[in-house]
Amino acid sequence: MGDARERILGRVRQALEHRDSVEHPGDFGAWRPDGALPADPVEAFTKLFTAAGGEVRHFDSEVAARTWLDGFASAFETVSLGVTVEGALRPERPEASPVSASLGISMARCAVAETGSLVLDARDGRRTQLLPPTHLVWVRAADVHATLTGALSAMKEDLPSGLGLHSGPSKSADIGQITVKGVHGPGRVIAAILS
Amino acid sequence: MSRTRPSEYKATAEGILRDHPEMRTAVTAATRTFNSHRVHGFGEVDAERWRDWMHQVKNHLLTHLDTYLEQAESNLVTHGARVHWAESAEDARTILADITKSHEVRRIVKGKSMLSEELELNTFLGEHGVQVRETDLGEYIIQLLDEPPSHIVGPAIHRSLEDCRELFGRELGTPPDASPEELAAAARRALREDFLKADLGISGGNFLAADTGTLALIENEGNIRLSTSVPRIHVAFVGIEKLLPRLEDLSAFLQLTTRAATGAPIGNYVSLLQGPRRNDEPHGPDELHVVLVDNGRTRLLADERAWEALRCVRCGACLNICPVYRQTGGHAYGWAYSGPIGAILAPAYLGLEEAMPLPFASSLCGACADVCPVRIPIPDLLVYWRERAVEAGLTGRTEAAGMRAYAAAAERPALFGAAKHLLRHLPWEMGGRALPVLGHWTDERTAPPPSRRSFSSLWKEGID
Repeated sequence: MGDARERILGRVRQALEHRDSVEHPGDFGAWRPDGALPADPVEAFTKLFTAAGGEVRHFDSEVAARTWLDGFASAFETVSLGVTVEGALRPERPEASPVSASLGISMARCAVAETGSLVLDARDGRRTQLLPPTHLVWVRAADVHATLTGALSAMKEDLPSGLGLHSGPSKSADIGQITVKGVHGPGRVIAAILS
Repeated sequence: MSRTRPSEYKATAEGILRDHPEMRTAVTAATRTFNSHRVHGFGEVDAERWRDWMHQVKNHLLTHLDTYLEQAESNLVTHGARVHWAESAEDARTILADITKSHEVRRIVKGKSMLSEELELNTFLGEHGVQVRETDLGEYIIQLLDEPPSHIVGPAIHRSLEDCRELFGRELGTPPDASPEELAAAARRALREDFLKADLGISGGNFLAADTGTLALIENEGNIRLSTSVPRIHVAFVGIEKLLPRLEDLSAFLQLTTRAATGAPIGNYVSLLQGPRRNDEPHGPDELHVVLVDNGRTRLLADERAWEALRCVRCGACLNICPVYRQTGGHAYGWAYSGPIGAILAPAYLGLEEAMPLPFASSLCGACADVCPVRIPIPDLLVYWRERAVEAGLTGRTEAAGMRAYAAAAERPALFGAAKHLLRHLPWEMGGRALPVLGHWTDERTAPPPSRRSFSSLWKEGID
């Protein structure tokens, strides 16, 4: 197979021998018409994530978040918790593996306003992000980047084996072009933003 | 349904239109919806500037492809991934067979990948006693029906809710009046078992950022995230043209590819993968294999005109707007990639003779060029392949002679003027049919007779 590598690269070089080289155009500006998105990244994220079928909660303090969490989590029999979710944000519910838990709780690495995406890090646990039917994701307001370029640039020096951008509940329109939620990933996703 | 070949285009298309008129209805409805979503999605951003920028990034990448391939390989290896190079589909299948044998793989789950269709992986694995399960809902439907995908993005758009009710009733025991939600839930239960039991997950690759070795995958259901996170081995097949120079370049490509495909700001799930599971991570595959596939791509890169088709991001926008594709869906094209983009890739990937008559399966209306997020000049390249086909003697004799006569006349203004005059005044049946542009168009239609006065003479006199 080492030969295949050399042959492919050789053919590429031969093909490019007389081709004019093109410069990289430089940084991408994420150009949009004025006012297409709210200027505040948290507000823009909320708008897009909600439009995609996700739910968003805002909390001014960890105490307020904790109070809400106790009530919210009580509706679920078992939870699967991300490794990096801090103590105050872990409900007192029986834990289960991601395969059987009814609720998954993760801590987001960051979020992206212009795409309405939560960015999830493999170090928090990939199965927890994907297998339970409902997913609660904590994210700090300060970690909401305006652009995807900004988020990628900020993470570039510390990349895990995998990042997942989740921009709403799992969905599909493959059956008769009718949109359904929760096909493989969670059908309900809540982004809980901590200011 | 058996897989056909491009040479059977005309017969397959006629068969679909005659025997399955419901497919035309389903495909036309689905593509019109996709396209109206794209219009909305492009309108929310300065799409023209995004397209210019992406066009240039991809041309930069392609004119430095050797450097970026080496850089991507080096970064993937640093992160613990294994990199394989496949010159052909056969090479790619052998690489996969070696991995499945050495790891005693029995069960595979697959995320949707057009490259895996091009490489015909499923048939090959089936022959080697490995169970492969397609996990994208659309791919799952057509796998159960034993059909090829009919669209790059929506493989089952030619199938209706009724078709799915009947199929899932038979395969999964759902009631005859099951709702789409109930059908999806039944598929979710069945496929969840497959994810948890699988030894290996297969994916394609939408992009591969060279400076970090990041493989990017776009989807909506979560099946690709599961296929690449749950089994102990992940094998990704990536066309060598799918590279991007820098991690940050992904930003525009992830967004506008999705806007072009479905109108959404970004795919519901995007995976950015850098290697196998690390010690500080609780889950993830123990091995990541990336197979870099040529299979005709270097041949296309060497073509002075057609190489720009390698910019393609597989969004399907050109299929959705194409009045020819809309009539039949993708099955008629007899190849993994259908529609306008398939018609310009096929001559390079399959060889011009094998690809015939796909470059002719277009009215050259130009709509595809207007929607392409990376500005591939698809109509120009269709004409280019037609010219090549005529030169190679692969078209009908009358049409070839007509093209030659037109070319000869067009190069000599006096002769061109004389020919125009002659065509205007000859009895139509004698002269008009010789016009190459009319070709088969006049088989089932009567062309209107030409005006006695030409457009250019009217123009000179001044048109009110």
